[in-house]
Amino acid sequence: MKNLKFLLLTLPFFFTSCEKDKIEGPNLNDMYGELTIIESLNVIGDSADFSVGDNMYFTASFSKQVDWKIKIEGLNSGSVKIISGKSNDINQLNSTWDGGSTHLPFFISEDCDIQLTFEMYDDTIYRQLNIQGEKEYNNENTVLITDFENGFNPNFTGFFNAGCTKALTNGGAGQGVKFLQQFGTCDWDWLIGYVDYYSTYWYDQNELVNNPSQVYFNIMINGDSTISQASNVPNSLFKIEFYEDENGDGYYDANTEDRYDYEFDVDWNGWRMVSFCYNDVDKLVLATSGGNAVRNPSKISNVRTLLLANPASGFAKADVDFLIWSFGSSILN
Amino acid sequence: MKNIYLYYLSFFMLFPILGQSQVKSKLWYDGNARVMYNRDALEGTLKETDTVSTRSNGGGFTILDLGFHFTPVDDIEIASEIRLKNDFGGMWGNKSVVELRRLSAKGVVNNKIAFSVGDIYLKQTKFTLYNYEQELSEYEPSVFRFYRDFVNYENYYQSNYWRLQGVQTNFSYNMYNFIEQLDFDGFAARVRGQEWMGKPELLMIGGSAVIKSSNNLNLGSHYVNTFEILSSSNSSVTYYNPVLNTQLSYSGTLKDKPYKVLLEGGFSKRGWDGDSLAPEIKGNFMEASIHSKSKKGEINLGFRYVDTDFRSTGAQTRRINYNNSTTTYPYYSNNYTQRKVSLIDMMSDPNIYNQNLSTSLMNYNPMYSSISPYGNATPNRIGLTADIDNFNLTDYLSAKVQTQYFSEIIGQGTTNKRSFNKSTLHSLLSLDKLLSLKNSFDIEGSINIETVKRGGDDFEKINLNSILYSGSISYELMKNLKIIAGAKMFYAEGNEFIAERDIYDQINDFEDINYDSKETILIAGIQHHFTEDIYFTMQYNQFNVLDKTNTYDEFSLGRLIFMFNMNL
Repeated sequence: MKNLKFLLLTLPFFFTSCEKDKIEGPNLNDMYGELTIIESLNVIGDSADFSVGDNMYFTASFSKQVDWKIKIEGLNSGSVKIISGKSNDINQLNSTWDGGSTHLPFFISEDCDIQLTFEMYDDTIYRQLNIQGEKEYNNENTVLITDFENGFNPNFTGFFNAGCTKALTNGGAGQGVKFLQQFGTCDWDWLIGYVDYYSTYWYDQNELVNNPSQVYFNIMINGDSTISQASNVPNSLFKIEFYEDENGDGYYDANTEDRYDYEFDVDWNGWRMVSFCYNDVDKLVLATSGGNAVRNPSKISNVRTLLLANPASGFAKADVDFLIWSFGSSILN
Repeated sequence: MKNIYLYYLSFFMLFPILGQSQVKSKLWYDGNARVMYNRDALEGTLKETDTVSTRSNGGGFTILDLGFHFTPVDDIEIASEIRLKNDFGGMWGNKSVVELRRLSAKGVVNNKIAFSVGDIYLKQTKFTLYNYEQELSEYEPSVFRFYRDFVNYENYYQSNYWRLQGVQTNFSYNMYNFIEQLDFDGFAARVRGQEWMGKPELLMIGGSAVIKSSNNLNLGSHYVNTFEILSSSNSSVTYYNPVLNTQLSYSGTLKDKPYKVLLEGGFSKRGWDGDSLAPEIKGNFMEASIHSKSKKGEINLGFRYVDTDFRSTGAQTRRINYNNSTTTYPYYSNNYTQRKVSLIDMMSDPNIYNQNLSTSLMNYNPMYSSISPYGNATPNRIGLTADIDNFNLTDYLSAKVQTQYFSEIIGQGTTNKRSFNKSTLHSLLSLDKLLSLKNSFDIEGSINIETVKRGGDDFEKINLNSILYSGSISYELMKNLKIIAGAKMFYAEGNEFIAERDIYDQINDFEDINYDSKETILIAGIQHHFTEDIYFTMQYNQFNVLDKTNTYDEFSLGRLIFMFNMNL
């Protein structure tokens, strides 16, 4: 019995060793603590050649978890890449950069300014880096329709109303040097002009995978954000039509085959990459009879881009460049 | 008008039973009668500045809770309690209600197995099923007791029992060897009923088995499981919270002084079936205490460890619900600010109290209680307790002392842990015995100090101090008629981080709150006792709540109150 009493009295003290070093709830340091830069921003892999698949990443560490943003700006191209996150350190996992852009145009071989900023704090860290070789977007996971660098393929036919312009232009492109200017005023028709990009003449002749949720269409568009005086909405309306040659006879028949349309206002100024999944192209223009009402990207025989504007509204503009299909994700992701 | 019919109906239904009971003694009754009237009036600067609220308001009621106990056969008793309530200000039955307050039956099968059904009062251990006292009510001077009795009575708080509805049974086996007695107890209660398109039914089942040995060693095992019934709603998610508690106690004597050692431990599990986002958490606890008694008083020493993830619906449900609206001036000032629950409401307002078991940790105000807001079952605590009860210094001076020191097991939001200290002292000076007076003359005083501290960097530091001074004088002017006066002064100053929890009780945010508060309660009046349980009191109360951080306007109130209480 004496042993039992001893046991009863000593057992509690075993529990004093049960204290733990975990934290319950969110870290107060992250919520209320001061931000201190423990390790300043470093560029790992500077002077990377993105064209051969090089990457670079950044390192830094902070005293607390914080919303941070790295802005990389090309000094010649003006391209901008934003990398952001919420953590108490920046490392390879959360900051790897493969040379892609967030805001067009694309980076070229150039020097870049880097700016690291923090939400809710004034601290800013500046650095510079150099790009030896620009990123090659066209690879095994893409199908390039055209980037106009080899000129405008005359087999891409189309129509522009009188007084409206379609012109291959050098300088100021979204990608490379050349791009297709499209602009004009047409006071009798909604159509400014259209171009048919037949699949037979796409730059890459690889077949698109036939899974519409994995196929993305990407196009660079240079807008001027003109607002219509008549309707007080953006003046330029852009429409993309996808024609599916379902019976594979090399010809699209509106009576028996499907067409999918995607349209949007060009309400921005400068170049922007418009990307969307083929699965999200929800406007089906049904064939009169037949048509399977199923998105079949591998059967697309033609992509038509149309620039439209309200006849009463005046000038419209939407230059295009770098029409490309990508698989798995949009081209900038 | 409808209520008048109810009166007559009740009377005519009950009259034959009453009449019969006079003859066969198969019916007996008990209950409570209470008459209360209070008039509250704004005071201080608020009276001048608040042009929105009424200057004063008042109300009162007469309540008769008539309990009937009917014994149709020797082993069965059927009990019901009917409340007849008449709010002052109504006429001809207007504002009058008749309601059933309790209905239960109990009995014994073959003189061996006892059972109760209907409204039952249940208590198990302090970690499985226990209704802890409201904060700051310990060591309260006796002149404030009438308020607390009223609050507890209205909320069905009987000792530390929860009132539930279900069935309970218990039986014992007496043996004549090493094991002297085996006690078994089991219950099933419906905590929450079916809701239309709502949550599933919530049930609680539990059981105890206690072995009493011949060498003063007792071993008990207690189990409670609170769970939802999936088939009772369209929901695909059900809550479960089993808790197991094992107790080992030994009683003995040391140098002719009796002592009792209690060692208990157990664990809990809490989760939601069918919800992939809900975490299943498991926690354990352990408590050890030694209790000894002498002519001078009783001493208790204890150690307690309760895991951060320990969850027990039956033991962690709090009495005060800070989300409830106060009865007296729920809104005040020209900004029509909702008045926070404060000491005056904790003392006198039954409507801020909770009668239902809660499946999640209820909010608490650290200003009033930080060390153990969920009683002994407060999770994330490790520490020591010591208290001396009935400490008779002389025949005219007695005291009670309690001190507690606890620490968190896991830091909240930081690796630094809070430390908690609580010290309480209560003393009773019987001046009539000291001065050899004929009439009773008692002076009571108590002090309750609580501190919370946490070190570390400036942003995580906590330093919250609260102190409650209470005192009272009670002088018997003539036989059973006393003149009474009492005061409570509460101060709280410092800062605390209030944890905000998601639907799974996980902390997802903290709010840094600064406190600088002063609350005053003054009462004075007369109290006449016809018997111990039959008395009336008439008092003037003055309340003041001052928030020096200027988050809330100062609230001042005067109250004239009359209460007649009769326990039948």
